[in-house]
Amino acid sequence: MAIDKFTGENSIAFIKSEQLFDFARRNSLWYIAFGIACCAIEGLMSASGPRFDFDRMGVFFRNSPRQADVMIVAGTVNKKMAETVKRLYDQMPEPKWVVAMGACASTGGPFREYPNVVLGVDKIIPVDVYIPGCPPRPESVQYAFIELQKKIAKRTEERLAARNS
Amino acid sequence: MRPAIADIERTLAAISGVSVAEEALGTVARVELAFVPDALSALKAAGYESLVDFDGTDTGEFVELTYRLRSYALDLELFVKSTVAYGGTIESVWFDYPSALMPERETAELLGIHLAGHPNPKRLLTTDGVEPLLRRDVLIRTVEEVKAR
Amino acid sequence: MSDICEETLGVGLLCEGQHDPGTPPAGLRRAPSGVDGLTTEHLIINMGPQHPSTHGVLRMIVEVDGEEIVAAEVSVGYLHRGIEKLAEHRRYDAVGTLMDRGDYVSGMMGELAFALAAEQLMDVEVPRKAHWLRSLASELNRLASHLVWYGTFGLDTGAMGQFLYAMREREALLDILEALSGQRMMFNYIRPGGVVADMPLGVTEKIRAFLSTFDMYLDEYDQLLGGNEIFQGRVKGIGTIDRQMALAFGLTGANLRAAGVDFDIRKARPYAAYPELDFEVPLGSTGDAWDRYNVRMAEMRQSARMIAQLIDGMPEGEHTAKVPRIIRPNAGEVYASVESSRGETGIHLISDGTEHPYRMHYRGPSLYAAQALEEILPGHLIADVVMIIGSTDIMLGELDR
Repeated sequence: MAIDKFTGENSIAFIKSEQLFDFARRNSLWYIAFGIACCAIEGLMSASGPRFDFDRMGVFFRNSPRQADVMIVAGTVNKKMAETVKRLYDQMPEPKWVVAMGACASTGGPFREYPNVVLGVDKIIPVDVYIPGCPPRPESVQYAFIELQKKIAKRTEERLAARNS
Repeated sequence: MRPAIADIERTLAAISGVSVAEEALGTVARVELAFVPDALSALKAAGYESLVDFDGTDTGEFVELTYRLRSYALDLELFVKSTVAYGGTIESVWFDYPSALMPERETAELLGIHLAGHPNPKRLLTTDGVEPLLRRDVLIRTVEEVKAR
Repeated sequence: MSDICEETLGVGLLCEGQHDPGTPPAGLRRAPSGVDGLTTEHLIINMGPQHPSTHGVLRMIVEVDGEEIVAAEVSVGYLHRGIEKLAEHRRYDAVGTLMDRGDYVSGMMGELAFALAAEQLMDVEVPRKAHWLRSLASELNRLASHLVWYGTFGLDTGAMGQFLYAMREREALLDILEALSGQRMMFNYIRPGGVVADMPLGVTEKIRAFLSTFDMYLDEYDQLLGGNEIFQGRVKGIGTIDRQMALAFGLTGANLRAAGVDFDIRKARPYAAYPELDFEVPLGSTGDAWDRYNVRMAEMRQSARMIAQLIDGMPEGEHTAKVPRIIRPNAGEVYASVESSRGETGIHLISDGTEHPYRMHYRGPSLYAAQALEEILPGHLIADVVMIIGSTDIMLGELDR
């Protein structure tokens, strides 16, 4: 459904409304500005900085969970923090996605042996994309967002295929 | 810079059971637990105006408390040590040294001791029900536990 | 409440009362309210742990009378992950990885503090070049850390441009640090005995290229934020920590120097290559947020000056002493402290002669700055809270440890 604005060719696109919504969704993945630990510096601050500039992918930070689509869990979740993470996730409107950034959010990372640390944020909330690394480079986070966009597109295709069959 | 032993002994002359020694750590004054607030008051009057650090160590038999005092005017540093039994009570020194407020709470919850005379003796770092994690008998997770996550 | 938590989360949590805002306890300082004859009903406001301006997962419980703060409680522990406990189960060369993640914006200084403590027990002669590389890494990291503070402090006031400039400069610094150590943030570069690798080819030129423009840019950045009248109007006169209060609350670093106390570990207890370097310790006078801003900006200029001296005078030789693969230091108890970008980072290390430390206590300067907030916030307006938190430059990783 590429629209050529110079020639006017294909200037009308016939797509299903679900495809249209998903096109919009996956190109404006707004994440919640919720940095827990070290990864926040790389995944949220450097990411919105001038070199990596996530804005050009439509990835931008919102300060309120009510306006966010994606939650980047950037850091170690401990037992005191777990309830807050869960509560923030519940406050986000559907559809919503979770990126577990770094070793700590994925499995507990270097702190996994400490009894106060939760072994991965997937114990609390469902996770869509895991990023390895401690901390992952901002490029990895960028790649995670590209994968997330693919995942969103694929899910729509699957849903449509299931309805047609 | 390390203060002279004689100076500290003179400052703490009114307090019984004080022993001052020069160690690898620095100049260390060992004080009985009951006299810690008095000793710190005397040291504050003698110019040690800042409590820079406070921590506790589980030695296997009891908890050893270390107060690190500093005098900026005299450029001196002094360690005050005391011991407390597991589950014992320490008297807060926040009135002389407000910087002890949070480190005392942290030490109390992580080493399983109680605070007396503290304005806000709540847990600082962990939630209710978490065991005193810095004690030697509280073990960290084993490899199997982590793998079976 | 607690039942629901355990069921849904499945990690055995105790959630009861965690999110009950509660009133700040009576023992904390309370500002006089209703002095002008106007009293409104007091309101408890919960700020954080998710808040864009608390620089991490700090939670404040603020009691307000209208717009004025009556009492404030700082609630921490949302990032408590046991650096002190885990250090008892790591080998001496691996504790650096934990120290990196303590104060994660200036990891080099944490590593250096631990290395200095371990070396006191190890009878090892650290080569001169290792000292110089350690100072170089520390100062580069101090610049990177202060730039993060500069960018986010501006964000707290509502400015945006300076954040992008600060991040641009920081990326250049991270490139240098990456060339030096192999990592952008978690370096594990400074180890007991020396540093992990010699300076690779081309780094000196990279640093020179960075320094050739940095001073000029820094003046411009200072003008951009500090020269802005709105910024000055918001920052001047708030969050005053005078000398007496700074000493009572154990503040260190720029927060202490802003109150006019001339104490810098690099000068007072020289370590690494600092005795051989020529630098000044910038001081403030009143100790308000504006003084803290100016002290940190001046510190950045001094750091740039030191980096220039360090690359010009870099000695030849080994980058590390001969250290056994498994370090077993002598039994004993030592204390080492360094001047990190936030203040005095201290390590109280107790060794029993085995390959793991018996006890490592990590003194984070942010803990002391955070508890001073309970004292200084009452009496201020609610809009000043984020400014005061930003001006103290706290880092939650080393606060909760």
